[in-house]
Amino acid sequence: MEAGQQQQQQAVPGSLTWRLSSHPITLLTFLAFRASSLLVYLFGLIFIKSLVMIFIITILLLAADFYYLKNIAGRRLVGLRWWNEVDPSTGNSHWVFESSEPGTKVVNPTDSRFFWLAIYVQPLLWVGLAIFALVGLKFIWLPLVAIALGLTITNSLAFSRCDKFSQASNYAGNAFLSGNIASNLAGNVVGRLFR
Amino acid sequence: MASTSRRDYQNPAVDDEDDLIDPDDADLNTFDDPLQSSSRPLTGTIGSSSGGGGGGPTPSSFSSQNLTSRIPGEDRRAPTNTIDESVWDTLRRDLVAVWDKMREVLWPRHLLYGTSLEHVDGLRGAYANLRSGGLRDLAGRVMDTEALLEGGGGGGGAGGVGIRDWDLWGPLIFCLALSVLLSLTAKSDQKDVVFSGVFALVWIGEAVVTLQIKLLGGNISFAQSVCVIGYTLFPLVIAALLSALHLPQIARIPVYLVLVAWSLAAGVSILGGSGVVKNRVGLAVYPLFVFYLGLGCLCFIS
Repeated sequence: MEAGQQQQQQAVPGSLTWRLSSHPITLLTFLAFRASSLLVYLFGLIFIKSLVMIFIITILLLAADFYYLKNIAGRRLVGLRWWNEVDPSTGNSHWVFESSEPGTKVVNPTDSRFFWLAIYVQPLLWVGLAIFALVGLKFIWLPLVAIALGLTITNSLAFSRCDKFSQASNYAGNAFLSGNIASNLAGNVVGRLFR
Repeated sequence: MASTSRRDYQNPAVDDEDDLIDPDDADLNTFDDPLQSSSRPLTGTIGSSSGGGGGGPTPSSFSSQNLTSRIPGEDRRAPTNTIDESVWDTLRRDLVAVWDKMREVLWPRHLLYGTSLEHVDGLRGAYANLRSGGLRDLAGRVMDTEALLEGGGGGGGAGGVGIRDWDLWGPLIFCLALSVLLSLTAKSDQKDVVFSGVFALVWIGEAVVTLQIKLLGGNISFAQSVCVIGYTLFPLVIAALLSALHLPQIARIPVYLVLVAWSLAAGVSILGGSGVVKNRVGLAVYPLFVFYLGLGCLCFIS
């Protein structure tokens, strides 16, 4: 409701200002985690002289960012979640995607834009840094960059895949859930009944 | 045992050469079926000399199934709806999962429980023991690791729950701790190199050991195995901590041997349920032993 009023006051809905967000704390924490690992990697040497300390801080920030994006920001900002399950009898792993039931959650366009922008831009930035590290022959940083690439690209792939699954099943679900956007609670109940 | 095998040699039947090979090994797979091996005869694992039709497709199907698990997935409106849970619920669930895995490492229960009938909970453990005992008699060849893993393998169906959900927090934290502690005692101009070296060594070692287990046909996923090996680094972190505290060299030898053995026991115990092909258990565990021993030596000399 607040977000709706603010959207009316300020001009463009879905523009990239955090005031339009319906989960400002989640969004800001998410962006802070995303940015901080990059910033520490880039400018850490100015403040901390020890290479090892920067390495550790960056990796811990990357891990925290991965965890936060996968488990908290993803489902609160856009209502998506993924994880990886292993079949214990064969050892094959497969991906499981979860999305909020259609009609129960209205995804804020600002949140959505921030989310997808951050999720796709971050791997590109790390690819750029990897090229710099290769060209500059700073091989000691390569493991760190490789880890960063692995974590961010995994999240990007999984979330884009998750989004596709969610859209596909939303088309199927829209037929009988189209009228329920009125109230979250009612939508939830009806969704459970129809499932 | 010897008399039966001699009798087989005395009349080498031309019609069934499978029976001539089977008696010591076919019972292994009939008693416990690790993977799809229950459907195929054992001729494929013994050698190409049998030339049977059963041995052909198995190796390719192993690698193609296990190594190429890419992103095709499953959409789920989850039965337990985790989309709307609070942040604290998420954190608590994951912390509990991490603690469960730590407990598996701190108390390698398959090794300790599988040895005697009294400590085993319920019928399953008793059955596993009977099975391993009977198998020992029948197979007639007992390696130590194999006997251990039979105990673990029997309870593996229940114990596999502990490692079914993997995470990489343990490997990350312990790898970082190991690298930091080892680099503390290095010379000041070598700290960075030691840190990066140990860090890379741990991850590459985990990858190599995992690859070995996968190629031997263990039904465990890559990340799962890395998770288990990473968590079992915990005793070695203690070793590195003792080194950082300047434990005298003489005292290090027995303590570190115990710690390496602890790591190995935990690793074997947890991986025991992973269905590494039973005939090649020693082969699968040996690189793990080398990995732990190498890290232990690194702790020793630092």
